[in-house]
Amino acid sequence: MSDVLRQPAEVIYQAELDALKAEDQGQKPENWQMTPKSVVKYLLGGTTASGVEISPKYIGSRRLIETAVATLATDRALLLLGVPGTAKSWVSEHLAAAICGNSSRVIQCTSGTDENQIRYGWNYAQLLAKGPSKEALVPTPLFRAMESGSLCRLEELTRMGSDVQDTLITVLSEKMLPVPELNEVVFAKRGFNIIATANNRDKGVNELSSALKRRFNVVVLPLPDDMEQEIEIIRRRVAEMGQSLSLPVPESAGKEIEKVVTIFRELRSGTTLDGKMALKVPSGTLSTAEAIAVMVGGLSQAAWFGDASFGAADIGANLLGAIVKDPVQDKLVLEEYLETVLKKRKDYSDYYHSINELL
Amino acid sequence: MPMKEIHYFGIRHHGPGSSRRLLAALERVQPAVVLIEGPADCSELLPFLASTGMTPPVALLSFVTDEVGHSIYYPFDEYSPEYQACRWALQAGADVRFIDLPVSVQLAAAVAEAGEDHNADDATDDAGGENRDVESTDTENPDTENTDAASADSQALRLDPISVLARLAGYDDGESWWNHIVEQGADDDPAVFTALEQAMAELRGAIPDDSPREVQREAYMRLQIADAAKKTDGPVAVICGAWHLPGLKAKVSQKDDKARLKTLPAKLPAKRVNSTWIPWTSPRLASGSGYSAGVSAPMWYRHLWRFGQNEASLVRWLALVAEQLRQAGLLVSTAAVIETVRLCHSLAVIRDRPSPGFEEARDATIASLCGGDILWWQQISRQLLLGSLVGEVPADVPLAPLLDDLQQWQKKTRLKSEALPRELSLDLRSEPGQLKSWLLHRLRLLDVPWGEQTGSGSSRGTFRERWVIAWQPEFAVQLVENQIYGSSLAQAAAERTIEKMRSQRQLGELAKLLLAALEAELPQAVEQGFSLLAERAAHTAEGLDLLDGLPPLVDISRYGTSRNLSLAHVNGLIERLAVQASLSLPVAVRQLNEEESTHYRHAIADAHAQLELAQVNDSVMEGWWQALQEVMHSNLCDAGARGLASRLLYQAKRLNEDRLQQLMARMLSPANPIHEAKGFFEGFFSGAAERLLYDPRLRQLVDDWLGSLEEEAFIDSLPLLRRVFSELDAMERRRLLDALHAGEVRTSTAFAVNESLASQWSAHLQGLGKLLAGDKQWMN
Repeated sequence: MSDVLRQPAEVIYQAELDALKAEDQGQKPENWQMTPKSVVKYLLGGTTASGVEISPKYIGSRRLIETAVATLATDRALLLLGVPGTAKSWVSEHLAAAICGNSSRVIQCTSGTDENQIRYGWNYAQLLAKGPSKEALVPTPLFRAMESGSLCRLEELTRMGSDVQDTLITVLSEKMLPVPELNEVVFAKRGFNIIATANNRDKGVNELSSALKRRFNVVVLPLPDDMEQEIEIIRRRVAEMGQSLSLPVPESAGKEIEKVVTIFRELRSGTTLDGKMALKVPSGTLSTAEAIAVMVGGLSQAAWFGDASFGAADIGANLLGAIVKDPVQDKLVLEEYLETVLKKRKDYSDYYHSINELL
Repeated sequence: MPMKEIHYFGIRHHGPGSSRRLLAALERVQPAVVLIEGPADCSELLPFLASTGMTPPVALLSFVTDEVGHSIYYPFDEYSPEYQACRWALQAGADVRFIDLPVSVQLAAAVAEAGEDHNADDATDDAGGENRDVESTDTENPDTENTDAASADSQALRLDPISVLARLAGYDDGESWWNHIVEQGADDDPAVFTALEQAMAELRGAIPDDSPREVQREAYMRLQIADAAKKTDGPVAVICGAWHLPGLKAKVSQKDDKARLKTLPAKLPAKRVNSTWIPWTSPRLASGSGYSAGVSAPMWYRHLWRFGQNEASLVRWLALVAEQLRQAGLLVSTAAVIETVRLCHSLAVIRDRPSPGFEEARDATIASLCGGDILWWQQISRQLLLGSLVGEVPADVPLAPLLDDLQQWQKKTRLKSEALPRELSLDLRSEPGQLKSWLLHRLRLLDVPWGEQTGSGSSRGTFRERWVIAWQPEFAVQLVENQIYGSSLAQAAAERTIEKMRSQRQLGELAKLLLAALEAELPQAVEQGFSLLAERAAHTAEGLDLLDGLPPLVDISRYGTSRNLSLAHVNGLIERLAVQASLSLPVAVRQLNEEESTHYRHAIADAHAQLELAQVNDSVMEGWWQALQEVMHSNLCDAGARGLASRLLYQAKRLNEDRLQQLMARMLSPANPIHEAKGFFEGFFSGAAERLLYDPRLRQLVDDWLGSLEEEAFIDSLPLLRRVFSELDAMERRRLLDALHAGEVRTSTAFAVNESLASQWSAHLQGLGKLLAGDKQWMN
């Protein structure tokens, strides 16, 4: 057992990757470890010809994953968009693991990321001692990926400044990285490509320039469209987090999860579940991840401050915080939802009252 | 051996690939007679297809003349194999004939079934009949009453087995599958048709028994084919849906076939059935439009027919997509289109397809052109895939069904088409009156204003309608243009109204359309209207729109009560709109310009009056009062709206006099900007100037305010004052003046005798005496 807290995907799923590679037939794009079809199978799960079970890494639309893999097989970069909690980074990690066997060439983009972290940096001791030279150059994951013909992952692309984003343009369109200090150019080997992820609700932070956007094929990962699936995801995550935070998860949590998911889904989709009434949509995301946070917040409140029971009173405040992101607009939306929908549902009356009190 | 001369071609209905193969095969075989799966008694309409005035999409329409709601459509577009085969035969001089069960028999069956339904359910009314009409607008097989899933599946299989096979193979679009599986590498046509026939034989082996109607149809077709083969010398070509191929080729003795046909219902007499060509539209060829043998994307099929399925046509298609996206406002560069083509190919490889098809083009478009945003695709997909083509039919084709339906109605209601205007008073309690009213309302919805309603405002809610009717010759033309919406007046009016409703964004207008649909007795349109209204109401945040929506809805509710219609959801909707309007009102009336302020005041006043009439739930009304209170108290709200809100509250005794006085004094105090004060004054008094007559304290406040105005400001306010005071009639104005002067008179006229005038008094009295005596010289 290694003492690493979390192993990269290519280590955890090595057996599956090996099985797929062993039986892989057909033409592979250069420097790929397996054919695009096997990559799709690795992500979506299935069984290989010899009967090895491949676990599904992503549950959802097959078309999207096919498009993503096809994009990487052309030399165009892939941008995975989605609201938080839609498995963007997860998919990107597994794509990298399956295609080039190395998912650890990652650049986490932040507002503090500068060009040195994208292109290359300098070892200043060396630089001062020997002047600009190959030895003094510190390659970035992108630099290394270009040299080795593998994939580089950029997490949260839109979080870094637009000027820094735009250094990617030459890399993406001409597949080369000039190093003017050494009068050299790094040409990307075949197999090099970029998988970027970005949050499409964070618009306006550092919008992608259209020059850069044009160089990406975009795949939008949606929120789960099946209610049961979403409830299951939340139930599992809440149980896990409850354990790690030493919060007791009461029996009734399941019922409350169902109600919270119902409220989230109705507000998110803009219609009641029975499809009979249309609703306004609040400005927040209301993602699965947020539903999890609401539940965990509620559990924490019930455990430390509440009485023995766990219910609407504990969840209400968290729910309000998740839904009302814009104090004027969203409040109106929520009020309307309370008055036109929840008020009429008997089993939601505790939610109606507890949220109404807080409003 | 005549049997050898029969060539069978199984085709995919509306399949461009099929059409192309078929034409090549016909060229090769050069048949003397072409037999097509289609109603045998419509064969005489086939020559019209060669006419230059005929532009597809068109449909062959058969309907029962004396009963509403039974009709069968056979739509064709230029890529339909049947259409192409007809054209080929007509041009090559070959005989061409339909060989399927005659429409007179199919319609007879439909009529008989409807009759059974009718007995089973006494409550069948006009509306029910219309619904059935929609159901039976099905090309292949009018008896689609079984709706359980299994039979729906086998129904789909019979109509388009290719699509079912394609779906099993993971394709969304049957034509891609056809291209990849059936056509791939097969240059010789016979191989394609043979392969298809084998596939169908396998499929049919796996499916349980055919329905009796299917068996009869195939028996009928076999007999027709044998008959044609006997009478013709040259080769015979039989063109039918691929599904029927094994059935038609089966060796069955003619005697058995004839025995099978014994149980067919007796066909309707010729005068009860009418068939004609009518223009069709491309969206109605789509399976999504309710046409069960339709295709998923008519415009894509048209593209395939015109340009084939190859690299060049894919590029052309993507260029078309890019063009549409640009029109929708998305910046699409040529470089992006190039990348899309590359992505299509790479997707085809991953999906194990020999060449990119429809799905690849769609997925690549979304990822590469739309930036992953599926909304862009959805925005263009309707126009792109369904198009808006309307076919044309030459003028010499027999009478169109809408005109026919109008004639029936005219007979039924005894209304003659007269050119001179005539007044018509209808009593809606009597059946003839009701029918006439429906007819006139429906025609109006079809843009055929035969009747103009007079005094509609006052007649609503009563049982009387007044019309002036005058027939114009061009009405007939306008009516025919509506054919694309349906074959009966009721159906066409409903369809057209629904279409209008869909494109209507304003709640108020939508509610008016809904009311019109109610008056015209179009239940489908009414239902659609309600659901659209509910949806729009949820999405609108526009306070004005919400307020505007209320009055027509209340009208509808009252209309419903006066006619015993169950309009359960109306009241729910009214309450919902009222709740929403109440919530949004205080925010909506902020920062308005003068014009908007006037609009809002009218809307609030109307909505208020209607809410009081509608007798909504107390809690809803409470919300409304609260909204008015909030508007009144908030400094941020428009002064006019505040004035109006305070008056409404005051009238309802929810604001006592002291508070009102306090508020008004504050609003009209000189420190306030003059436009605010004016706004408040106008808001409060317009429509209620008589308040000034009865309320001395208010009068005093207004008087003080006017007195305090600077001259310039006063002159500026004159138009406003005139607007408000002109609402009073002469008598009321006089009383107002009296009331204003009353105070002054009392204080200033203390009587005192003026001694110096005493002498004149006697002179005056003398003059008066003369005047009374009739003396004309009385002045002297």
